[in-house]
Amino acid sequence: MSTFKVCVVGGHCSNRVMIVAEQITEFFDTNGIDCQVFTHLAVSEYGFPPRSNLILQLLPAFTEVEAGCPVINIKPLIGDPMHPATLEKILKQVQADYIA
Amino acid sequence: MSSRIYLDYCATTPIHPDVRKQILRALDVDFGNPSSMHWAGMDSKQLMSQARADVAEGIGCHPDEITFTSGATESDNLALFGTLRLFPSEKAHLITSAIEHHAVLHAAHLLEQDGYAVTYVPVDGHGVVDPDDIRRAICPNTRLISIMSVNNEVGSIQPVAEIGKIAREHDVHFHTDAVQSIGLFNVNVDELNADLLSLSAHKIYGSKGIGTLYVRSGSNLSPMIFGGPQEHSLRAGTENVPGIASLGAAINLVREHRGEERARLSDLRKYLVNGLQAFGPNVSVNGAEETTAPHIVSVSFTGADAEMMQILLNHAGIAVSLGSACNSKSLEPSHVLTAMHLPQEQIESTLRISLGMPTTHEEIDLLLDAITRILPRVIVR
Repeated sequence: MSTFKVCVVGGHCSNRVMIVAEQITEFFDTNGIDCQVFTHLAVSEYGFPPRSNLILQLLPAFTEVEAGCPVINIKPLIGDPMHPATLEKILKQVQADYIA
Repeated sequence: MSSRIYLDYCATTPIHPDVRKQILRALDVDFGNPSSMHWAGMDSKQLMSQARADVAEGIGCHPDEITFTSGATESDNLALFGTLRLFPSEKAHLITSAIEHHAVLHAAHLLEQDGYAVTYVPVDGHGVVDPDDIRRAICPNTRLISIMSVNNEVGSIQPVAEIGKIAREHDVHFHTDAVQSIGLFNVNVDELNADLLSLSAHKIYGSKGIGTLYVRSGSNLSPMIFGGPQEHSLRAGTENVPGIASLGAAINLVREHRGEERARLSDLRKYLVNGLQAFGPNVSVNGAEETTAPHIVSVSFTGADAEMMQILLNHAGIAVSLGSACNSKSLEPSHVLTAMHLPQEQIESTLRISLGMPTTHEEIDLLLDAITRILPRVIVR
């Protein structure tokens, strides 16, 4: 399994974060990127930022300093799962950090 | 978590000590089945009769016009289904508003699926229905108009007396959900020209699981629950006597204190709103002050993420709501704020703060302090 961990962080709605995580996983598959995608709900686990290489968050839960890794706001994906600017940002970050 | 502050009284309220006494009496002493023909049943029935009389006096009706239910959701459902289903679908029309509680809206949607005609009148930017829109929507098949007295999300006070008058002029039944108004405003079914009226105990310091539907004498309703003659054969099932006792006591409590509470909460609300508006031009309070109930503040922090604000406030021990409690876990934005045509960005940055009997200035200060700390980190970038 890939060691590059991508965490999708949501708030109250576990359905929402699961849906977005599945979409992100599909996006990575389509682009030939092997990442481990998992989810984290800020409402129940706020005190402990998830240990990951990249955090994609649906709400401003953590800063990069708190998380110890890059953090990208992916809220636009709720309304548009193919939001180009957000997906491009994710891709660039992964390419910079993971795919050398 | 530091000491806790509760500012979500629209969602529910703590049971008042005076109400608890009545509940305990029903649990410990008058525990019988009111339908039983012995001392235990008779004592329980007496307690229930007193509570019924208290509720009736609280809204200006006869005790026989009070039907106890499991809560306002059931009462709202019974009002709509009970009225419309007396008629074939092609001969019945319902008028309601776009901002009703889901107990009304979901019932209306189901009626539509069954072929009934439903008109959802809009609201203005402050969340208030225009009675002329109601008047224009009435047609020969209109059987029921259902408009809530005070909206639970933004606190907008609806012109229900005027709407009730229009309904009466056109010989149409009028239902109002008075859940959020009874605690702070005088509610009289004759002044409202109401034929049906829903109440809930747990919004006025009573217990959960009990409410009432006022049914004007002479009104027909088709029951939804069968299996016994209880509640004038309108709502079968052994009565929830402790709950009924709590509703009677809660109505008495709010009647006694509503005048002073309305004044006190108006002052508190002003204090809170002033404090919120001091955070800058991106903060807006939804609804007009003169048509908003004093216990509800719907506030938008445009540019901030309300969900994260609510999470961080909860982490700080402060309970507030994202829109209504019913919406807080839904993927859909608030239907009330959407109906008020607020921009999406504003809807996503809205919190509901609601005040109650225990709320103090000190609690408001602590809320404002917490927001001061939290706001900079929940700005969406």
